[in-house]
Amino acid sequence: MSGFGSALLNSLDIGLLLFVIAVGLNIVFGVLNVINFAHGALYMLGAYLAFTLMNLLGLSFIVALIVAPMAVAVIAVLIDRLVLRYIYERDIADSLLLTFALLLIINESVRMIWGSGIHTVQPPEMLRGSVELFGDARYPVYSLFVIVVGLVLVAALWFIFNRTRAGKIMRAAALDRDMAEALCINTKLVVTGVFAFGAWLAALGGVVAAPMRALDPGMGDKIIIESFIVVVIGGLGSFPGALAGAMVLGLIHGLGGRYLPEINLLLPFVGMALVLLFKPNGLMGKGANV
Amino acid sequence: MTTINPKKLVTSLAGAALLSAGAMQVSADEHPIKLGAMYILSGSAATYGQFAQRGVDLAIDEINSSGGVLGRDLELVIEDSQGKAAVAIQAARKLVYEDQVDVLMGLDSSGVAQGLVPTIPELRKPLIITHAATPDVTGKLCNAFTFRISTNVAQNMKAAAQIAAETGANRWTTIGPDYAFGHQSWEFFGNALKEIKPDVELMEATAFPRFGAEDFTPFINGVMDSDAEGVLISLWGGDLVNFVRQATNLGFFEEDRELMFTVGAATEVLTALGDRMPEGVWLSTRYWYDGYNNDINTRFVNAYIDAYGNPPSYNAEGAYAAVYAYKNAIEATGSTDGPALAKTLEGMSFEAPNGTVTFRAGDHQAMVSPNWGRSGPMHPEHGIRTLEDLRIFDAQKVSRTIAETGCNL
Repeated sequence: MSGFGSALLNSLDIGLLLFVIAVGLNIVFGVLNVINFAHGALYMLGAYLAFTLMNLLGLSFIVALIVAPMAVAVIAVLIDRLVLRYIYERDIADSLLLTFALLLIINESVRMIWGSGIHTVQPPEMLRGSVELFGDARYPVYSLFVIVVGLVLVAALWFIFNRTRAGKIMRAAALDRDMAEALCINTKLVVTGVFAFGAWLAALGGVVAAPMRALDPGMGDKIIIESFIVVVIGGLGSFPGALAGAMVLGLIHGLGGRYLPEINLLLPFVGMALVLLFKPNGLMGKGANV
Repeated sequence: MTTINPKKLVTSLAGAALLSAGAMQVSADEHPIKLGAMYILSGSAATYGQFAQRGVDLAIDEINSSGGVLGRDLELVIEDSQGKAAVAIQAARKLVYEDQVDVLMGLDSSGVAQGLVPTIPELRKPLIITHAATPDVTGKLCNAFTFRISTNVAQNMKAAAQIAAETGANRWTTIGPDYAFGHQSWEFFGNALKEIKPDVELMEATAFPRFGAEDFTPFINGVMDSDAEGVLISLWGGDLVNFVRQATNLGFFEEDRELMFTVGAATEVLTALGDRMPEGVWLSTRYWYDGYNNDINTRFVNAYIDAYGNPPSYNAEGAYAAVYAYKNAIEATGSTDGPALAKTLEGMSFEAPNGTVTFRAGDHQAMVSPNWGRSGPMHPEHGIRTLEDLRIFDAQKVSRTIAETGCNL
């Protein structure tokens, strides 16, 4: 039982981190109609900035957690104003091509700035080691921290989308941008803001991931594939979709890796295939999207 | 992707100036001998390609500044294999047909090697594999043009089995990447261990996480809940860094198990982990920079540290040694003709940082041996763990016989 308990917690830990990253991808698609291939690269940028702030400048994890995602959001505003805005009205395939180019540019820039080597970031003192849970089973403190961050973000995002004016504007812009504009909503600002917010979420995921995952120039590519699986399972363009998809994939990794290690490679794709067969728009997807 | 190395430029210019001043035999327009290399230069494992490229650069600098090969300079043309077989096959064709390289070298992944090696005979240029370890390419996939200068999985696992047999552990399992390398490591380890110690138990429950899995916690928990007494861990690169840190967090290293990391002493990984690599676990590498007491190794290690600030990894050594293997082969042949060079390489011996290396005639596998040691205290200058109780095995004893390889040349 204790093994099962820690496997469930582990699923939650993996799933919530995936949620933080994939929800940004999903929000950006919902409002901008852009599938952002470079989303994983922004996640990587967050992690590397945390590495610079903590290991090279000696600042604390908390500072990194605040500064790095903000810095990446600023970069996202530049990306949006300099390149992305030209393709909002174009076919979705164009946005795929353009953001793929961005991904290559960011990947190579990271390699040029920080080198090819593998870097690591240490978790802060109070989040190191493990605690006793379920009798004798131990669970890493840092993973509990990831779960807390994930749950806080789930609640905060739910609140923003359902209870605040900014959230309502975002949803309005996602539903019908022309209508929103007719109602005197500055959609240009909304669109740029949403892209920056998506990047902020990706980078936040990167900073949170940094103390437990190796930093290397390929880390963004790994996470973008996972994020796409989340989106396919959960449904493109919706906040509940990202949550559902991330939880399912978390369970697939957490329980599958623990109890069915022989077929762990296959399981995410089986999950994806099943969803595509029976709910082609994803678990929470609306028929209108894609 | 030819890189212009300013240092190389300066040394070749200096060399050219010296030679023309002394009115030596070299004519200025003699075209260079081209080495075509394929390594992982982007993505997660890019650090391996970088170490290899540095090894090649160092060897080429040394050779060119002492007169080149047959009076001609060596020149590197390097391609990114991206760790994908299809990309490497294209890269090899581009190197041979477009860049007109004379010889090929490289390969960081067993999966890439298995895909590329069968296409090498049609290119009619020799290939020296410097890293990829699958036994197949000097076994059932062997061919007249393919050679390997680095230790293969069969050699490494036979050595590992000898160490494992000396420990008290009787029940073994594995955690390895879910592709050729992880599965073959376990298969060869199991077979070799059974031979030495027939009563040993190889557990049914094994873990092969996806290469690049990021979160290894479920697999680590699986082993911790089992009654395994020994674990063979063949994860490498960023996966290994992630594994060690997550396992530390879970208290995995505080439990009483024999742990053997089949590529744990890669300096790429040791540098990233620093003192977070636990002490007292068995680590292997194809070459440990501190393990060989000969002039070539001393010169190589010192030159490498001078140039790049950290000790060379096995990948750097393999690449460095391959350049010297080609130098010797081209000088012995007197030309850069592909088939003739392949003939010369067969059975050829030469001096490398890890001693005298011979490409065995029957399967083209270099008679080299893995280095196993226990992780010790941190090195005061290099910022990585040292290896204690270092064991360098007799290559003849850990290599398969030609009959066992299944290679028929």
